[in-house]
Amino acid sequence: MVPCGAVLWRRLLRKRWVLGVVFGLSLVYFLSSTFKQEERTVRDRNLLQVQEHEQPILWKEQFSSGNSSHLSNQCRNSVQGKLLITDELGYICERKDLLVNGCCNVNVPSTKLHSCDSCLPNGCCSVYEYCVSCCLQPNKQHLLERFLNRAAMAFQNLFMAVEDRFELCLAKCRTSSQSVQHENTYRDPIAKYCYGEYPPELLPV
Amino acid sequence: MKPFSSMTMKFANIWFVLVVILLCGKKHFSTRIGNFSHEAHVCPGCSRLTLKVEFTSTVVEHEYIVAFNGYFTAKARSKFISSALKSSDIENWRIVPRNNPASDYPSDFEVIEINEKQKDGVLTLEDHPNIKRVTPQRKVFRSLKYSDSDPMLHCNETRWTQKWQSSRPLRRASLSLGSGFWHATGRHSSRRLLRAIPRQVAQTLQADVLWQMGYTGAGVRVAVFDTGLSEKHPHFKNVKERTNWTNERTLDDGLGHGTFVAGVIASMRECQGFAPNAELHIFRVFTNNQVSYTSWFLDAFNYAILKKIDVLNLSIGGPDFMDHPFVDKVEYHAADFKYLNETASVHYVSGHRSICFLSQELPGGYGRVKPDIVTYGSGVRGSGMKGGCRSLSGTSVASPVVAGAVTLLVSTVQKREMVNPASMKQALIASARRLPGVNMFEQGHGKLDLLRAYQILNSYKPQASLSPSYIDLTECPYMWPYCSQPIYYGGMPTIVNVTILNGMGVTGRIIDKPDWQPYLPQNGDNIEVAFSYSPVLWPWSGYLAISISVAKKAASWEGIAQGHVMITVSSPAENKSKNGVEQTSTVKLPIKVKIIPTPPRSKRVLWDQYHNLRYPPGYFPRDNLRMKNDPLDWNGDHIHTNFRDVYQHLRSMGYFVEVLGSPFTCFDASQYGTLLMVDSEEEYFPEEITKLRRDVDNGLSLIVFSDWYNTSVMRKVKFYDENTRQWWMPDTGGANIPALNDLLSVWNMAFSDGLYEGDFTMASHEMNYASGCSIAKFPEDGIVIAQTFKDQGMHFLLFSLYCFWLLDSLLQYTSYGVMPPSLSHSENRQRPPSGEGCSLPERMEGNHLHRYSKVLEAHLGDPKPRSLPACPHLSWAKPQPLNETAPSNLWKHQKLLSIDLDKVALPSFRKNRPQVRPLSPGESGAWDIPGGIMPGRYNQDVGQTIPVFAFLGAMVVLAFFVVQINKVKSRPKRRKPRVKRPQLVQQVHPPKTPSV
Repeated sequence: MVPCGAVLWRRLLRKRWVLGVVFGLSLVYFLSSTFKQEERTVRDRNLLQVQEHEQPILWKEQFSSGNSSHLSNQCRNSVQGKLLITDELGYICERKDLLVNGCCNVNVPSTKLHSCDSCLPNGCCSVYEYCVSCCLQPNKQHLLERFLNRAAMAFQNLFMAVEDRFELCLAKCRTSSQSVQHENTYRDPIAKYCYGEYPPELLPV
Repeated sequence: MKPFSSMTMKFANIWFVLVVILLCGKKHFSTRIGNFSHEAHVCPGCSRLTLKVEFTSTVVEHEYIVAFNGYFTAKARSKFISSALKSSDIENWRIVPRNNPASDYPSDFEVIEINEKQKDGVLTLEDHPNIKRVTPQRKVFRSLKYSDSDPMLHCNETRWTQKWQSSRPLRRASLSLGSGFWHATGRHSSRRLLRAIPRQVAQTLQADVLWQMGYTGAGVRVAVFDTGLSEKHPHFKNVKERTNWTNERTLDDGLGHGTFVAGVIASMRECQGFAPNAELHIFRVFTNNQVSYTSWFLDAFNYAILKKIDVLNLSIGGPDFMDHPFVDKVEYHAADFKYLNETASVHYVSGHRSICFLSQELPGGYGRVKPDIVTYGSGVRGSGMKGGCRSLSGTSVASPVVAGAVTLLVSTVQKREMVNPASMKQALIASARRLPGVNMFEQGHGKLDLLRAYQILNSYKPQASLSPSYIDLTECPYMWPYCSQPIYYGGMPTIVNVTILNGMGVTGRIIDKPDWQPYLPQNGDNIEVAFSYSPVLWPWSGYLAISISVAKKAASWEGIAQGHVMITVSSPAENKSKNGVEQTSTVKLPIKVKIIPTPPRSKRVLWDQYHNLRYPPGYFPRDNLRMKNDPLDWNGDHIHTNFRDVYQHLRSMGYFVEVLGSPFTCFDASQYGTLLMVDSEEEYFPEEITKLRRDVDNGLSLIVFSDWYNTSVMRKVKFYDENTRQWWMPDTGGANIPALNDLLSVWNMAFSDGLYEGDFTMASHEMNYASGCSIAKFPEDGIVIAQTFKDQGMHFLLFSLYCFWLLDSLLQYTSYGVMPPSLSHSENRQRPPSGEGCSLPERMEGNHLHRYSKVLEAHLGDPKPRSLPACPHLSWAKPQPLNETAPSNLWKHQKLLSIDLDKVALPSFRKNRPQVRPLSPGESGAWDIPGGIMPGRYNQDVGQTIPVFAFLGAMVVLAFFVVQINKVKSRPKRRKPRVKRPQLVQQVHPPKTPSV
């Protein structure tokens, strides 16, 4: 004997309004979920909510590198260096030779302008501060412009936030996703700070 | 008709599936209500802060705990018990009343007292269908505080389970999670009281006092590195930007963790965060599956630097030591942030409440993760994914608590340039409140105290400070393990690592060198002190390692010796006012030690640490292979960590344990009775083998605890690391048995490559042999005690490290030459194996041990031993004796100069505010916060568009059907074809189609 419940159930399902309700609810669910999805895809189009300011980068230093103007102005510098530091004019000096206004003391013989010590021809240096100083060389402007024009998608939001050349050099020289392989080793453990277009040379482990 | 009906059946099935989906979707919407109901759950017993070091427990006679299968009311429970006991004619029993707040609620256990025929009664009780088990009542003693252990309250809080999928979070978090040294023995794991009241952590830490003063985190940029945040979350009003650094194309939080973290820091509604007006920068660096890659971090970090972030919260555990790019990044750019809060590993101190570590230090040297301060890590309330609140516990919870507190603190400071990582850390450390009964490696400087930190930060002047700020080797338990063993002449020097924090600038240096100034009236000249310190203090900090040893003239002296170390730190001038003049700061570090006469040789045990290796950098598998969820040996085998219990036991038996951190050639064997080698992973220098042989001839005893080494098993425990995209193969087994066999070959002993485990009984002690090998060879006149395992059927010499009596017996034998009867007369004693017919393990082909070994170096072909390193040589600092008396209370001395906490008065505020107040059902989550915090504009429409849409759709459909039904009704009714039983039967057994 077929159980009574099954018969009732079947009979109930035959009723048009039951099917209608089921259909209606499903329709609502379907519509709401498609709507939600659509909303998400719209939002995903502008994934990075950074303001797209089409503001050109300032390529020139903001004040002339005369001795007198130094003292009256504040310099930005590469803050975190352990022994060396580079200021926004491109001078690299020892930490103890840093003036109170943040600029390097240009009267000390060890202070150098636009020095590319420790840098390789491929644009990678082993000391961060030299990388920044080298990057600030006027003849590197073309290189940087070319890089900015074809900056990889991953970097778009990073370099979009850059305002002038010094910031660009600071950001470019830092180690980034381009500096590593296998996620936990440097491509080149020595010369890992690069101002150039290309990632460090891949060295075998 | 028939084919049609079966078609409808099919359709009906499909519809049914759809209905189920719909219900699931609906359930999703209703979770919020569910949350509210459990937030109202009260259990006052939980809110007390209690910490303890040790438990002992005894069985209470005649009392039993009856555990049930579920939660029942008191009446039902009593009925079950009486019906169960009726059958065995026990009348003399009663239910022990429990008068606690939980007694109003259903419970899953009952305490009963049976005075007669206990065994039978207990047995009959267990036959009852609703009774799970019956156990004797235990009375638990704590060394600090005794509390009735009855109210085992079960609190329905959401626990943040660490189900990390990826390699990075797992490894980062596991640094001290689960595998922490303090619960290596599982001693504290059984009793766990959970908090019930999800707390408003900001109020608990008295952030509301600062809010009333108008500080709400305004103008501080906070970066949250986590799983993202949805766009219009109702709790946040100042989300500056959201960026995505993962490979998932979304900015939203699909997991809830990022929302929670952001909520604890800056939520302004319902569950208040610390700094509602702070500028939030959301960095999505974890996918919804908790995956993250170093490269994502590097880029996100660069962006954060560019955005001039003040406070950065990174909710992952300690860094992966292997991951140089990541570690460098964190270290190099610590200078760019005001505070980098990298956290956090949770640790359940005796189960009562969680304490979370905030370790900013990158481990190195002694290799211990050291917390600076501890704070709440359990039952913290934060924002839910779509609004509302949730309560979480665990690893990543304490991190946002501190990040939020720091954000709020930064906003209180007028001169923002004063705030830097060092000064913030100094303020947090100096203001922290010490917890009783917890040692400094577990609590750091104590519990976070927001208000005192505020006071300190606002009267702060740039200076250097030390952490710890004093060394009192007699103070227990705070200075454990230093306080557990007095020092004596000839012992290994005691080394204390002190961190120098320099609030004056990113770089600094120590002028001249540290000065050691013993107090002559306090016998300071009886100790000698040597220093090693970082040449440049960068970034913001450096280390100072102090080695303390006893002078020769005090070889038979007993007493307390005191003195202090003075160091002067200088930094380049930072601001214009002090044109070009270096800033300097002088700090004093008091030292107090207890000296005893040198103990006899037989009492001195040397623990070999030099030949132990641990996970970073190589893969050394855990000794216990059963622990699959964390296969790496993080902590190594240290007498103060994994083997803490062994250490405590040996100390209580009167042995003095010293740690050897250098090759065997560097200790004077005539001073020690026994050398203890436990699961050594390292190889041995040929010089060491020769020297050890000579030492043993001259009366040194050797106890070797070995573990497994089996190449096929080692190949089996390899795993694939998503992060490095390579296979990890173990470099040794649980111990390096081939190397040990080389060492022991002189005495004609060897271990085999077997791998065994099991339980056994020896001299009426039950023991567990977790994993290990068997003895292959042993000299003829030796004693071998064999045990046979059911499953393996092989012989081996036993060792389980946690059976102390065995260690005792062995030490008794090695130190005094007395063979305990339990060993000499063991019925399991048998002829030593000769080694024939038994395979000895070979070193695994292609292992990378030489990469991490202190002994081996890579060579063409096989790795060769390096040349023996020179023994460490300490140059003792020249004392500058002072004829003055030491301060009486060391730890109360000023931690920061020019700030006297007692004198800085707090502005008046309402003190009677309840610290923790649970929400009652129906009450809105809004707190009576003074104006200014609650902003005028809420994003209230978020999350409401979809329900509204759904409702409208439903209405349209409903209207359509109403019209339809009306139409049907207006028409003359047609008789529906009735489904009749015969038809149904026919349907079930369709007629066979005739074959052609």
